[in-house]
Amino acid sequence: MITLAQCIFSGILTGLLYSLIGLGLTIVWRSGRIVNLAQGEIIVLGGFVVWSLVAIFSPFWWLGLIISFVLLALVGLLIERFTFRPIIGQPIFSLFMMSIALILVFRGILMVGWGGEPQSFPVFFPIKATKLGPFIFDSSLFWGGIISFFAVVALTLFFERTKWGLKLSAVAEDHQIAQSLGISVKRAIMIAWVITALFACFASIVFLNGKTLTHLATVIGFRGVVVAILAGLESIMGIMLAGVIVGISEALARAYLDPLTGGGMADIVPFVIMIVIILIKPQGLFGWKVIERV
Amino acid sequence: MDPCGRYSETYQNDMAMIRTQRQWLILISFLILLFCLPLFLPARYIGILTMMAIMGIAVIGLQITTGYAGQINIGQAAFVGTGGYITAFLAHHFGLPFWLTIPGGGLAAGLVGFIFGLPSLRVKGFYLALTTLAFHFIFPFALLRLPGFGGPEGLSLKPATLGGIIFVTNTQMYYLIMAVTVIMVYFAYGVVRSRIGRAFTAIRDDENAAQILGIKLSYYKTLAFAIGTFFAGVAGGLWAYYFRYITVEQFTFFQSIWFLGMTIVGGLGSILGAILGTVFLRGFEEIITYLAPLLIEILPFASKEFWFASMNLVLGLIIVLFLIFEPRGIVHRWNIFKATYRLWPFPY
Repeated sequence: MITLAQCIFSGILTGLLYSLIGLGLTIVWRSGRIVNLAQGEIIVLGGFVVWSLVAIFSPFWWLGLIISFVLLALVGLLIERFTFRPIIGQPIFSLFMMSIALILVFRGILMVGWGGEPQSFPVFFPIKATKLGPFIFDSSLFWGGIISFFAVVALTLFFERTKWGLKLSAVAEDHQIAQSLGISVKRAIMIAWVITALFACFASIVFLNGKTLTHLATVIGFRGVVVAILAGLESIMGIMLAGVIVGISEALARAYLDPLTGGGMADIVPFVIMIVIILIKPQGLFGWKVIERV
Repeated sequence: MDPCGRYSETYQNDMAMIRTQRQWLILISFLILLFCLPLFLPARYIGILTMMAIMGIAVIGLQITTGYAGQINIGQAAFVGTGGYITAFLAHHFGLPFWLTIPGGGLAAGLVGFIFGLPSLRVKGFYLALTTLAFHFIFPFALLRLPGFGGPEGLSLKPATLGGIIFVTNTQMYYLIMAVTVIMVYFAYGVVRSRIGRAFTAIRDDENAAQILGIKLSYYKTLAFAIGTFFAGVAGGLWAYYFRYITVEQFTFFQSIWFLGMTIVGGLGSILGAILGTVFLRGFEEIITYLAPLLIEILPFASKEFWFASMNLVLGLIIVLFLIFEPRGIVHRWNIFKATYRLWPFPY
């Protein structure tokens, strides 16, 4: 019984982290109708930038941190300006392929810039086993979970309370209508990419904290895809619940199914969830509208 | 358009793949050239051509699913792996000859493709693509655990034999694989110019209009997946016989991205485009591999890893540039050239 409770608890914490990663997809989808499959690559790029800059500015690590956020925002700008803006108005297939091509480009940049050597990422949150009542968990994951929670709340407030957030939501509804109401679609998509890149940098700090840093960590991006699809790609608050669902089912699979199959089940379960949700309810748990039926 | 003086007077004429006598001449001399190449090319280039042929089959399959029918499949490499594994399984456990195992692998991959194409009845666009992405993660998981597939070590195969010939050397494999490739290319052309192919194009261009015209969407969409992944399975079978062992690591997600990139660079909606794209991207990769040792001598600071890493970057950028500047691919340029050549000296 205590295993079950422990699973659920640690699943919630990991799930919150997943929702932080999934946010990157949601934000871009909400404005540009682009699925950003390269999110994992951008996160790891953020990780490498943070790692390098913190090492360079070593006594003033916070300065390195600030500069890496600025750099990542720049990366977001560049992505939008040079890859997605030129193909606005082309079929969805082009947009999709562009995000896949970006995976290759970023993988190339990671390999060229930092090589294949694993590095150890700096520790921003203390890693130690913390006890809370009967539960044992990684305290860095705990802080990560709390930060993810506040990030999601802040983003929801931004999208629903501020002027620019509302503009972005309008763009998400319909590009043409937004444009005719005087909202610059171009600028909205640009802002969305900058926010996404900033969140990627943020997620890299939370996710990679104290871990080994290699380009293989990009796989986490697909976990973000699963979470975003489950939440419905438009809902920002919903992504937290979706993340928690994925996190808990993964933890449960690890505890109860892995011994039966000899491991690996935990990596499959999220994708099974994704297939099921696509088949049953393509618009996700909290998506806005019904996907066009065939 | 046809060259001057060539008119289609019957439907047979209009549907003909080879339309003029000169095209017959070019085709036959090309085939003769293809089968004479091993006589004067070094083994290294034969190996490259063989790999191009294997990949070309997989890319043609993807071209049918994605380029013709418009159903995105980002798991093609996993389907290649499925075909390869089934081929190896049949050869390893039952000792069947290659002319049974390769079609068997193709059919098995086609069946799996059909199953993963079923979501296309309900969702479209990138949602569909994501289910094929999920297959990419399920594929290694399943194969490593299913009994009879060798687990992490994979399966090994005996060389393919036909009559008294044992296909061992690069040159022998070249002949075997080229022969299969020619058959598959012919098959692909046959598919896309038949009713099936025209139905695929109609679905890609406008689903509603296609349905009004009496095209059964559910049937043709799943068929597009089944045919496309059948090609992948055949490619996988050839792959298995070429390397004579098979493991799950050979079929990565990146391989699938390459296949999609090849269809983009070559040009969507054209079998010739699939071949051109494969030759172009694969050739580019080989050139970098060939040049890397020379470049290291010129620029000593850059190691071998650096050049291989930059390959991803360069090829990724090529795909990005094609998407932006020539989304219709190389084959579009070729068609423009052909039309201009035929009209010359008239401008239009």
